Amino acid sequence: MTYEKLVTALQYRLVADGDRQAVIEDAYAGDLLSDVMGNANQDSVLITIQAHKNTVAVASLVQIHLIVLCNDRKAPEDMRTAATEQNIAICETTDNQFVAAYKIARLLGKV
Amino acid sequence: MRIGIDLHNHSCLSPCAHQNMLPSLLALEASERDIKILALTDHNSGRNLPAFAEACEMVGMVGVFGCEVNTIEEVHMLALFEDVHVASDFCFYIESLLPRIRNVINIFGQQTVVDIRGKILEEVTTSLYGAANISVDQLVNQVNNLGGMVIPAHIDRLANSLTANLGFVPDLPYAAVEAIRVPCHVEVHGKTVIQGSDAHYLEHIGRRCCYIDADEANYPALVNALANSAIFYRGS
Repeated sequence: MTYEKLVTALQYRLVADGDRQAVIEDAYAGDLLSDVMGNANQDSVLITIQAHKNTVAVASLVQIHLIVLCNDRKAPEDMRTAATEQNIAICETTDNQFVAAYKIARLLGKV
Repeated sequence: MRIGIDLHNHSCLSPCAHQNMLPSLLALEASERDIKILALTDHNSGRNLPAFAEACEMVGMVGVFGCEVNTIEEVHMLALFEDVHVASDFCFYIESLLPRIRNVINIFGQQTVVDIRGKILEEVTTSLYGAANISVDQLVNQVNNLGGMVIPAHIDRLANSLTANLGFVPDLPYAAVEAIRVPCHVEVHGKTVIQGSDAHYLEHIGRRCCYIDADEANYPALVNALANSAIFYRGS
């Protein structure tokens, strides 16, 4: 599934565009970015509350295509700029990580 | 000459520090351990800086003033200033960015503001343990713009460090980085690595102090030594 289809299905606010061709296969929920770096699979969505540009740096390392910012956290401008440069999409939601992870797992056919 | 420095210390204001960590005792004890440049860096607050400044003056210590900011990434960063008033203002600003959660004394401990004699002036009721709503990048920019220094704390620790929480040390204009163990094997982009005691108890004072090579003990000499990696560790 592409990030666009996923974000549309979730009705989350897209605040930075990414790679429209990339296919999302998996997801990872985590706020400790060293853990994300070590354990997230490539071609994933990252579900997190870490709304800052270093999240983009970690996402680019592990080939994460979409960052979902939960709990109504807003991506600051420098984060959106970094994401655009790295071709990583960002969306925002009022859902918490648990609810977002459940919805995304269903859409990806993981549950 | 070698001048002892210790830029990471807590007082009884920090919830996790012992109540006998009076700012005056910190300055006195450090001076007895041959430290000439000493910082007070309580968690997210600078309310004990006035007593610390007074004590430093009394014992002939070069005081460095600031706090240990817990950023929105839950990374601990030392924000340091030469001037106690600039530091106090900045620390009040950091406090204003904390979530309004009440401290629970029996779990986290007391947060007391004291004078130079150790008389309790105030008990801070908002928890100083939380994360201030400021990112690492924003903190570095703001402190540098005020003429201060930022030093990421204990970068080799498994909690509340750049390495643990972000997975790497972003290449930003820090004055230095602090490691618990030296040599430090984290990529620090050529920054000077210092050690700091992170003292929460009187017996911790000076445990990880280090030394700069300078003619005189003062703030410009400290800044210069950090910029030029003129640092020696204990036992080296």
